[in-house]
Amino acid sequence: MVEELLIKNGVVYDPINGVKGEKKDICIRNGKIVEEVKNPKVIDAGGRVVMPGGVDIHAHIAGGKVNSGRLFRPEDGRKGLKAKTKLCRPESGYSVPNTFAVGYRYARMGYTFVMEPAMPPLAARHTHEELVDIPILDNAALPLIDNNWMTLEYVKSGDIDLLAAYIAWIIKATKGYGVKVVNPGGTEAWAWAKNCDLNDAVPYFDVTPADIVKGLAEANERFEMPHSIHVHGNMLGHPGNYEVTLKTYDLVKGITPYRDRPVLHSTHTQFFSYGGTTWRDFESKARAIADYVNANEHVSIDLGSVILGDTTTMTADGPMEYSLYQITGRKWTNHDVELETGSGITPFMYSGKVGVHTIQWAIGLELALLTRDPWKIALTSDHPNAGPFIGYPILISMLMSKKRRDESAEEMHSSIFDRTELPSIDREYDFYEIAIITRAMTARTLGLHEHGKGHLGVGADGDVAIYDISPEERDAGKIQKAFLNAKYTIKGGEIVVKDGEVVSTPEGRTFFVTPECDPKLTDEMMTKLKEMFTNYYSVSFANYPVQDAYVPNPYEIRAPWRS
Amino acid sequence: MVEITDVVCPLCGCVCDDIVVEVEDNRVTKVRGACAVGKSKLMGHGRIKSPAIRVNGALKECSYDEAIKKAAEILAGARRPLLYGWSSTVCEATKLGVCLAEEIGAVIDNTASVCHGPSVLAIQDVGLPSCTLGEVKNRASLIIYWGANPTAAHGNHMKRYSYIAKGYFLPGGKKDKKLVVVDVRETKTAKMADKFIQVEPGKDYLVLSALRAVLYGHEDVVPDNVGGVSKEDILEVANMMKEAPFGIIFFGMGVTQSRGRHNNIINAIQVTRAAHTHTKFNIMPMRGHYNVTGFNQVCTWETGFPFAVDLSRGFAWYNPGETSSTDLLIRRECDAALIIASDPGAHFPGESIKHLSKIPVIQIDPFANPTTEFADVVIPTAVSGVEAEGSVYRMDGIPLRLRKLVDTDYLSDEEVIQAILEEVRAIKSKEGE
Amino acid sequence: MEELKMQTIRLRLKEEVMSGVAKIPVIVDALTPDKLFGKSEAEIKGVKIWWGNREENTGDLFEVSVEGDATSEAEVKIVMDGDLSRVKYIGAGMKAGEIEANGDVDMHCGAMMRGGKITVRGNADCWAGCEMHGGELIIEGDAGANLCAMYRGEMTGMTGGRVVVGGNVSECAGQYMAGGEILIKGNADILAGLNMKGGKITIEGDAIMPGADMTGGEILVKGKVEDMIPSFKFVETTTVDGEQYRKYIGDLAMTEKRAKGILYVK
Repeated sequence: MVEELLIKNGVVYDPINGVKGEKKDICIRNGKIVEEVKNPKVIDAGGRVVMPGGVDIHAHIAGGKVNSGRLFRPEDGRKGLKAKTKLCRPESGYSVPNTFAVGYRYARMGYTFVMEPAMPPLAARHTHEELVDIPILDNAALPLIDNNWMTLEYVKSGDIDLLAAYIAWIIKATKGYGVKVVNPGGTEAWAWAKNCDLNDAVPYFDVTPADIVKGLAEANERFEMPHSIHVHGNMLGHPGNYEVTLKTYDLVKGITPYRDRPVLHSTHTQFFSYGGTTWRDFESKARAIADYVNANEHVSIDLGSVILGDTTTMTADGPMEYSLYQITGRKWTNHDVELETGSGITPFMYSGKVGVHTIQWAIGLELALLTRDPWKIALTSDHPNAGPFIGYPILISMLMSKKRRDESAEEMHSSIFDRTELPSIDREYDFYEIAIITRAMTARTLGLHEHGKGHLGVGADGDVAIYDISPEERDAGKIQKAFLNAKYTIKGGEIVVKDGEVVSTPEGRTFFVTPECDPKLTDEMMTKLKEMFTNYYSVSFANYPVQDAYVPNPYEIRAPWRS
Repeated sequence: MVEITDVVCPLCGCVCDDIVVEVEDNRVTKVRGACAVGKSKLMGHGRIKSPAIRVNGALKECSYDEAIKKAAEILAGARRPLLYGWSSTVCEATKLGVCLAEEIGAVIDNTASVCHGPSVLAIQDVGLPSCTLGEVKNRASLIIYWGANPTAAHGNHMKRYSYIAKGYFLPGGKKDKKLVVVDVRETKTAKMADKFIQVEPGKDYLVLSALRAVLYGHEDVVPDNVGGVSKEDILEVANMMKEAPFGIIFFGMGVTQSRGRHNNIINAIQVTRAAHTHTKFNIMPMRGHYNVTGFNQVCTWETGFPFAVDLSRGFAWYNPGETSSTDLLIRRECDAALIIASDPGAHFPGESIKHLSKIPVIQIDPFANPTTEFADVVIPTAVSGVEAEGSVYRMDGIPLRLRKLVDTDYLSDEEVIQAILEEVRAIKSKEGE
Repeated sequence: MEELKMQTIRLRLKEEVMSGVAKIPVIVDALTPDKLFGKSEAEIKGVKIWWGNREENTGDLFEVSVEGDATSEAEVKIVMDGDLSRVKYIGAGMKAGEIEANGDVDMHCGAMMRGGKITVRGNADCWAGCEMHGGELIIEGDAGANLCAMYRGEMTGMTGGRVVVGGNVSECAGQYMAGGEILIKGNADILAGLNMKGGKITIEGDAIMPGADMTGGEILVKGKVEDMIPSFKFVETTTVDGEQYRKYIGDLAMTEKRAKGILYVK
């Protein structure tokens, strides 16, 4: 391994450090960014665009649900077959790639960190087993905590401190990173084939989704958690849901975060920005969402932007997947997890010839273009829900080129002109803004900037992407190509991609958070928790927590109790 | 004496994890909470004593090193090797197995090929509306066993997870539940049922289609008798399904291995989808070996496909019926085989065994079995879950970690595969020079 | 008028390839008329094909001879001889020209083909004509399972072309078929036309459980039907080609909205 590396003549975009397209050398020693190096291997970036390694805030890349997606779609596997090489193991899959392909493809795009955003606690070992098998990428996973019976009972009784004790325990037990919310209450209702709107009572538990979101946001801020609660709210994918979305945002407005970050991250917001009352009068409400985000500081969003073509949808939101399968009649897998969560998976084809899909496609881009401050936005496709991550370069080229958007709109369903305002938006992202929404904002929102990710300041991880493009380039096709296959990707000071090919495959690390709770609260909570195990879980309490063997390359972040 | 609690049982797909074991002098002396078969596995029996290589028709004891070297030579030289078994070992061994398959261009396959492979094919056609076993225990008021006889094959299944278990919404246990059994004969499980439906052998498919038609509101087209079942009975079961707030079908090899095979399962899943238009309905295969599911999981995330994966051309090609072990062997495609943690000698069709007995076979297993009788290299290993730890997946996909209870001089499956892999790489790099 | 030229490429599998204890398949999707068009005999001998886990030269596994010239792919005819029972993917993906296989052939014969003609003078193993889009596939003997069906997980099988089977077919012929025509002169084992959504299957012999989960297309059974699927709806008695049939629609197990398949039974 090269111990010192010098990247010369790059045009650097490092938004966390305010570096906005400056010609600047980057020095790396022993995997970290340093002031200077003495005897380095030199990479001449030759005036190309240089950014920190990409940080994906939300992509379903590992775990039971992802693997069920792979398992039941051999026809998707067949699409991405690539033979092994001397270095790389075989690849398969397009929307549900195998673990090796996940690592290689992200690395080729210049990414070095990905957050798996939906880990069922009971199956956390599975998620970690897959994360370990993903080469190159550093990673973390968010456990699902919002439909858990323990959560529902503490929200009902209003014991936020005990709720905090529970989330601390479960984040530790799953080696997780934070609090994930998916259709709060609705997923529990789905165990009876029902669903919940924001203010409906959850069957038998007598709490509302609104209570759950608020309770979890408050409990999360009891600790110095690096990330806010990460919310997929109620009524995803339903026409007219933008009002539910805005009401959900309002629920947590008064809560003070422990540091300068939002209290709620709203994920794949495209799916939550719908107007109309049915699919017939369906329309974009991206403007309403963007206006709210522009006017408030307590919410961040990621896009969940659509990439046209066939994909595999998957979420813990069981009822939503059922609705989708009812529309398409295609194969459908559902997997409810006792006392905790659920999940559904079904293939889906986004077509630019279909009115609804066209509007969905436009909404993701509108959100990005109408939200003024890119520090509030992350680029995602909710991989693979709105399309596979391998389509990110297409999205980047769309955001950077009005011309490309116009050309696409011409070929799409006319609803784009009637039901969205995308064609009238002139804004174009520049490389600096792209760097924000693909690494800087995401690292900061996840609190990872304090742990070496998403920037190139001294002490940061030596994670660097060099794209084969000059800062002046505006041609959408060239932009797309450059972001698909990096000239170089450097991970922890090691060159992992050169000229779009993977050249080394180091193991990634798993980041996890250890919330530190008051022992008395923990003891009280534990009495109730052990009853749940004795009576209702189908596994023993002693066999539940993820053993250390499943996280061979750990990076622990402590989250002290806020006194 | 040491008492170990919360032991995870390495026998069947139930993977009970509340077993209590007593250990004395590095031996398991007592087992509580396991079914009879599980207990026998945990206590140990019939171990292979030493690695051995067949010379002039007889197995001759040798060192681990010699056996591993011989195994690697056979595999590295093969043009169409098969790596089969994997369902009674841990995921860590499987991961290395996939690596070995890539290295030597082998087909890797597990016992699903001869048990629930058809279930996987069915899932690939229509998906699987399902849940974890705890959901069943807490919510399922209607339980249907179709072509499955848990009293014989999954001793603790009804008690821990289904008909007899008490749950949050069903505190009365079986008092609060209904049991339906569909089978070709009246099994012990059938005798416990509130409703037993006897179907003519090979006619499950027809009965399932009729049920779907009824659930979708077309009882008018259904004839008076379908596959030996009266229309009345079909209507009654359909009504029980519609009225249960939460129901589940558990299906077994009675459906997967009879005429229609995976298409029977597709139809059973389609029945579940039809029932879901009225209420909550789920379906789950009764997987046999404790980690048959785990192999499918690992193989899927590493290759993209769950079993019967042909890596001969460097990429993964998946086509059960072509790349599944029994087919490969009946067609005499393979020229060498590694058999781990399974017993094709007892479970494969005669013609497959005939071919296996003609080609070099390497067996890796703690226990002697009919496969040992024709294996050319025999490598004994530690018993996973007793002498070695590791990851396994329950029939409902819940991952658990097997515990190590006693020490052993045997190498683990993982260590043996790793050693073979290294030896193969050494041979290949020599060839490369 | 310009004279139609014809080139014949003869490929005879060498005996030693199939003489071992194991019969290791040879994969020949690289040997179609369109791919070999314009190649000399020496070049054809050098085309790489898979035999188990190693790539070999065609000339090492087959005796190769070339007669005549061709000015287009359509003028190339490949004649295959020898023990072809472990030769897979004969004519797979071919676009034009002709293949004549003298003997029983292995799996995937004519799979994904788009044009041209394949004649098998013997039986064809499973997945013959799988995901076929066009062209003609004549199997003089029997066909194995999944004739003209789809690969695992796909929802569309054959979409176009014509297939004739002189003998019987094994299970699931024409599964997920969306277009084209299949004529089966013998009997069809269980579930012919399973999930069919378009095209036409004619079965001159008997059939077991035909048409299950059909949502479109047409199946006509001239012989007797065993184990009729119980979720089809009788519509009327009607005459096809001068013979009386009972016409059913189905499969209602797929819901009424989707049950648009037509099944003619005597």
